[in-house]
Amino acid sequence: MSAISRNLKENEAFLRERFFNCSDIVFRSFALNDENVLLLVYLDGMTRLQGIEDNILKPLIFNGLPQGIDRLSTLAETFRREWLPLTNLFTDETQEDLVQHILQGNLGILVDGDASALIAQVHGYETRGIQEPKKESTLRGSKEGFVENIRTNTSLIRRRIIHPDLKMESYTIGKFTQTEVILAYMQGIADEKVLSEVRGKLGKIELNGVIESAYIEEWLENNSFSIFSQIQNTERPDIVAASLIEGKVALLTNGTPFALILPITFWSGLQSADDYFERFVFVILNRFIRYVMTFISLALPALYVALSTFHPEMIPSSLMIGIATARENSPFPSVMEVFIMMFIFDGLQEAGVHLPNQLGPVVSIIGALVIGQAAVEAGIISTPIIIVISLTGIAAYTIPRYSATLPFRLVRYLLMFISGMLGFVGFAFGIIFLLIHLVMLESFGTPYLSPVAPFDGRRIKDMIIRYPFWIKNGRNKKWRQR
Amino acid sequence: MTRSVLLTIVFLLLVLSSSGCTDFVEPNQLAFVIGTGVDHVEDGTMEVSQQIVIPSQLSGQAESSGNSNSFVVMSAKGRGIFEASQKIQKKMSRRVMTSHRILNAISEEFLIKNDGRKLFDKLNRDPANNLRDITVLIKGRSAKDYLMLKHPIERLSSISSGKELQINGLRRFSTRQFILDSLSEGIRPLLPVLEIKDFKENDKKTDPIAVLSGFAALNKKLKVKGILDVDESSAVIWMAGKGSFHAITIPWKNGKGILAFRLTHLQRRIRSVHGNDLKRIILTVKAQAYLIENTTSLDMSEVDNMIEVQKYVNEEIQKEFQITMNKVQQWETDVIGIGEHLHRKYPYWWKAQKDDWDDNFKKVQVTVKSNIRLKSVGTSGGQIK
Repeated sequence: MSAISRNLKENEAFLRERFFNCSDIVFRSFALNDENVLLLVYLDGMTRLQGIEDNILKPLIFNGLPQGIDRLSTLAETFRREWLPLTNLFTDETQEDLVQHILQGNLGILVDGDASALIAQVHGYETRGIQEPKKESTLRGSKEGFVENIRTNTSLIRRRIIHPDLKMESYTIGKFTQTEVILAYMQGIADEKVLSEVRGKLGKIELNGVIESAYIEEWLENNSFSIFSQIQNTERPDIVAASLIEGKVALLTNGTPFALILPITFWSGLQSADDYFERFVFVILNRFIRYVMTFISLALPALYVALSTFHPEMIPSSLMIGIATARENSPFPSVMEVFIMMFIFDGLQEAGVHLPNQLGPVVSIIGALVIGQAAVEAGIISTPIIIVISLTGIAAYTIPRYSATLPFRLVRYLLMFISGMLGFVGFAFGIIFLLIHLVMLESFGTPYLSPVAPFDGRRIKDMIIRYPFWIKNGRNKKWRQR
Repeated sequence: MTRSVLLTIVFLLLVLSSSGCTDFVEPNQLAFVIGTGVDHVEDGTMEVSQQIVIPSQLSGQAESSGNSNSFVVMSAKGRGIFEASQKIQKKMSRRVMTSHRILNAISEEFLIKNDGRKLFDKLNRDPANNLRDITVLIKGRSAKDYLMLKHPIERLSSISSGKELQINGLRRFSTRQFILDSLSEGIRPLLPVLEIKDFKENDKKTDPIAVLSGFAALNKKLKVKGILDVDESSAVIWMAGKGSFHAITIPWKNGKGILAFRLTHLQRRIRSVHGNDLKRIILTVKAQAYLIENTTSLDMSEVDNMIEVQKYVNEEIQKEFQITMNKVQQWETDVIGIGEHLHRKYPYWWKAQKDDWDDNFKKVQVTVKSNIRLKSVGTSGGQIK
């Protein structure tokens, strides 16, 4: 920590050395009596040039020195108190702070004979506008999504919760990136234990860079090796606002539109924002469909393998004969067939994510024609398997959150293999292990499977079916009392 | 630590896959038995025939209906079903699977010359047997012949008979029910009887097909005591409380024209005339009648005629059913389950009866009463003039 020198030349030399080979740093000095008395340093592209010109250069060049309302000891104080019409103006005492603030896009003003630097917050850079979140689109509700700029994101939440109890604690994480992370919560509603746990963990993070919120997500999780994520991510400010009101905690990270929400349960992965925007009767149906489809996406390949190869007596006779007929010429065992098709399906999915948009249709053609039809016609894969795998794939897409589908994808493989080896016994073992793991899992003190295990009758209302809002608010109780 | 965990996982996978993957049987390694036939052989053994589906013949929708067979019948002789089945298995390239069986066919000859109870022990004891299938009796011909028959609509004769029985509302004649009945003391089993008859499909072709020709009443030793024809068996099934649908056509009093009814909501009630003195039993049959055909001169929109017809139907049914009841009593087989009913109502009385119920059943005087209510006379009143 070295202090800023009184000598402007020394300071300039230090900055020029520090910013050596940084072509986007601009030095602008002003001379008085052939002697440099004033130095402006800023990062080109990160500052509003218009603001510098209007608010700093114009008064400096055209107006001349101020007359003064009071006796001023230094030139720097003159600038600060009488000259620069800026709201956010402060002084730095050390060279490190100065360098840091310049890199953040502020304007550094150094005056000869003054041991402090004036920092004017004039930063401004190109950002993406607020757009509809593509990954989590809803049929009804807000079309706003988070952007990369954290200030915009905080304002998106503030616009929804107009209450002083909404707190936003700021943290800076990352040695090189110096990323701003904001811990948002509702004071009095959020659990203090969760808050202190998160605060403690945020303080312990040692990272060179925080590029995305996923970097801190992994630091925060208690069970890093669990396949189930214990933190939800979202780009919808309305989901964050709703979660904050429910007493959850949100983390915003600069540079990414994805906010983190914690603690979460298993079921929050299966709930969509639309569940709260549609009439509750239809939501009940939709949720039912979603839960059934989730089970299908998890278990159908395993069940097919177990039933058709170990317990053919459990399938209705005509269906079983149909399956046998379709499988008459298949060269591979059912397990291998299912595995091959699942692998190809996931491969296609992965290819579809990375492909440029223009090539998207190519993948679907290859997938549908080459692999689907040709494999069946060539007799490599039997038709029931195609049906099973495509149904599984469609079922997986009913899960609203993408990151919630990933564990199911993995479990699907494991269940399928163990069912292929041991039949129903294996399937049962797989499900039991999965349930044991889920019951043991906790997300920041909240049991992952709650309110099912441990059972909570009042909260289960919002899990399986969504009650109308007025029941949840307890309004009907008041009505009855009247 | 990591190393040992990894090793454990690898070994576990190897153990599971090496032991587990030999257990599974792919559907194309299975031979699905759809029907089983049991025949008598003179040397005291039995001949078991299995009707087995050929899946590859079923795949094409149109082509297979012609010449090629969609099934094969394999038979073998043995002292028991299991021994014979094992012999069949040795001839097969696939594992014989009986869980999808729809039908058990037993030839009449077998039940006459052998102890049927021994056969059903084999069907009951092995948990691999699917007791949802239907057991039928083949009259006249051997069960093997029956299994070899082709059906003009269905691909397999077993499937056709299974469907035939289901469509006609006789779902309660599963092997499970048969075994329950044969083990109960107060009821004797009824067995559907199939007969092979020639059937003219079109002007060129005539093929034999199996048709339901009645029900066989078996006694405690599973010997056939008598065979009821289709009308009589319908009455017995109703009186036994197993029916759901009954159709009758009766001529009108003056002999001019007929009346046809569809009867639904079939019920029966058994009660004793003098409390604990169970010499005289009244069996009441109850149903709702819907008039379907009326070729008499009666105008059914007249309330008097309706009452008259209702009364007449009751009398006719009472008469008809009484005859059938007497017939069954003469055979000494309580297929109606009167004994079982009385067993539940008068357990102490039953203790004295159960040992020779077949004999006692004959002595009980059963009166059939009928309580048919005419629900609908259809859309027209009298005859259209």
